[in-house]
Amino acid sequence: MIRRANGVAWLSLLSALGCTRPAEERTLKDLQVGHAQSAALEVQVASGLAAVRDLTHERLALWLSAPSADISLVVHEAVQLELRVENTMASAELSDLDSGQTLPVSSGAASTKKTWELALTAGARHLRLSAPGAAGNGHFRFALMSDVQEAIDRVQDVYRVINAQADLDFLLGAGDLTEEGEVDELQRFQQELATLAVPYYTTLGNHELGERPPAYQQWFGRANFQFAHRGVYFTLLDSASATIDPLALEWLDGWLANARDSVHVIAMHIPPLDPVGTRNAAFASRAEAAALLAKLAEGGVDLTLYGHIHSHYSFQNAGIPAVISGGGGATPERAGDVGRHFVVFDVDATRGIVGSEVVRVDDSER
Amino acid sequence: MPASGAEPASHTDAPLHTETELAASSVANPTPASPAKPLTRDRRVAAGVAVVPGLALHGSGHYALGHKKTALALLIGEGVGLALVLGGYGTLRATGNSRYLAGPAVAATVFGAGLVLASFGADLYGTLSTDGGAVDLISRAPPRLESELGYRYVADPHFSYGHFVVERVTLRQGYFRLEPSAWFATNSSNVQYRVEAAYRFIGLAPGQIGSRDDHVELVLGGLHQRYLPEHFQRSGLEVALDTRFDLSHLGATLRGSFVDLALGYGVAKLTYDLQGLNVPADTDDLLLAKLGLGVALRGRAARGSEARVYYDHRHDDYAAGFLTPGRISGVFGKFGADLRWFFTPRLGVLVDARVGSTWLGGLSLLLREGTVAAPKAWP
Repeated sequence: MIRRANGVAWLSLLSALGCTRPAEERTLKDLQVGHAQSAALEVQVASGLAAVRDLTHERLALWLSAPSADISLVVHEAVQLELRVENTMASAELSDLDSGQTLPVSSGAASTKKTWELALTAGARHLRLSAPGAAGNGHFRFALMSDVQEAIDRVQDVYRVINAQADLDFLLGAGDLTEEGEVDELQRFQQELATLAVPYYTTLGNHELGERPPAYQQWFGRANFQFAHRGVYFTLLDSASATIDPLALEWLDGWLANARDSVHVIAMHIPPLDPVGTRNAAFASRAEAAALLAKLAEGGVDLTLYGHIHSHYSFQNAGIPAVISGGGGATPERAGDVGRHFVVFDVDATRGIVGSEVVRVDDSER
Repeated sequence: MPASGAEPASHTDAPLHTETELAASSVANPTPASPAKPLTRDRRVAAGVAVVPGLALHGSGHYALGHKKTALALLIGEGVGLALVLGGYGTLRATGNSRYLAGPAVAATVFGAGLVLASFGADLYGTLSTDGGAVDLISRAPPRLESELGYRYVADPHFSYGHFVVERVTLRQGYFRLEPSAWFATNSSNVQYRVEAAYRFIGLAPGQIGSRDDHVELVLGGLHQRYLPEHFQRSGLEVALDTRFDLSHLGATLRGSFVDLALGYGVAKLTYDLQGLNVPADTDDLLLAKLGLGVALRGRAARGSEARVYYDHRHDDYAAGFLTPGRISGVFGKFGADLRWFFTPRLGVLVDARVGSTWLGGLSLLLREGTVAAPKAWP
């Protein structure tokens, strides 16, 4: 009996020490993002592309993870609802898909934070939040910035330079917004974003995992998701635990199929392979990394974007152009020649990744 | 607790046995000249002291037993280990994981942490072990030939394989070693081939007499892994220095315990087999570092029996690197334990357990030849 108890104790200890699916809990939580209900209202954001930050009888607050989102409402009783949406494109409009009308914005017409006053009668309503032209094909620019962490006090330097960029549709993030992922850090990060002229669509990094369970998804939405913008697909994956959960890999199969004939950009925090292998700031398993890269190559992915390493690397993995950009301000890689920076990409739905430019923040300030 | 004076004499302090004695005892299982004695109250107290304050001050258990030189050596080991950890981790932090310094810094951190754990484990072992003298009668020379046939289960949620047949042959000629091995998945087409060629600069060759198992080997390795369902193959070359330090050098109480250290570098080519696509290969390199603490088993176990716990930094095998639910994943390698138990001089089993990003465990049958004069009949 004692031997059996010892065996159970050892197994429990080993289970606590090692786990094969550390991202499983977060991946399952992705399925709940974008859904909420109250006595008067039920809300469902298609594909979980927004976090429901608040839902009361009078107010629905969303944090968008994508330029466009379809919002389904089931209204149980007539209600006057204030719809607050943060992290929208400045030109975003709200359309009533049932009537085909564009709904007038109450405040924040040219900002990333908008409010609509909606008089809702009982029944189902279908809304679409989208920027004009977002559904069509065309040329646009986006930027990549990751790894702010402890440098949150200086992040406004970066945002000023980003705001000075012309024709930028949005900023993409590959994680490590905070140092520990604590609620006050996530709140601070969102507050700092108020000055950014474009929305910030991001997944999480390992530095968002300091809290158990991580609070990230309540603030910024899904860790694994896909959106399309102007004919280009963006898939963000949760590699914060140096692995991708098998359930997310199942979703990835579908997302790769969606984007099979389109330009497809994949972003995640920890890269599958570190260009400096002896450092291994990469997946825990080289085999899992290679299997993922083979899957991405087979899926015709056009660009892979990573964070985690606080420098800038441009290379190829499985023949796919790859960029590591961890220039948000966290302790830079001293031997690298790039400090704080972000990368701007020119994209065209028919021509692919047209170009990219590393914008050095500290150099720009000099 | 003796305050001063000479190191106390004990059965474990007996001088190492002569080569004649070793040769005479090398045919059958050794019968300890100094059989294990019951754990005395002094030793129980010392073992407690090895934990508190020994967790902080390694060597405390030996100090309590009066083995001051050994205690000091273990304390120095802890100090050097902590310095390596602080130096390595500090370098990583200060340089933002510099591409030029990350490899050495990670290696220093790994070895530092290993030394800290080893000095603690050795202190505990030395205070609890009452039959260290028996190890002197075990010839520690490696066999000329050892073959392994076994089974492994790999619990990896990312791959369809799970069950493996493992085969290995180790051939030694003088100071040279050649070791081909293979893992075949029984429920998938996955396969791994590996070959090691090594030269032993320091240490015993087969047939030589010696009761210490110190060795230094230069190892050249080749690895080929086929993941056909996942459409890639990985082929690599590596070079490593593989060493074992017999802890009896630090004191008689530590006879039978050892530390394994290995450091190396590997490079691999990753090729993708995607029908209709010409995908360029990737080049991948990795730091090889391994640190283990083990004991030679005696008593009912035949020579060559040993148990070991270890940390292995490599990320390219089935167990791969360690995952946690928290902030730090990916950097660390795996933890493992193995037990080699020989029932007779020729026949034994290997129990293998590893925890990385997967769980790996299994059992092998070991057959060997050429350790000692062979018995007339097959065991």
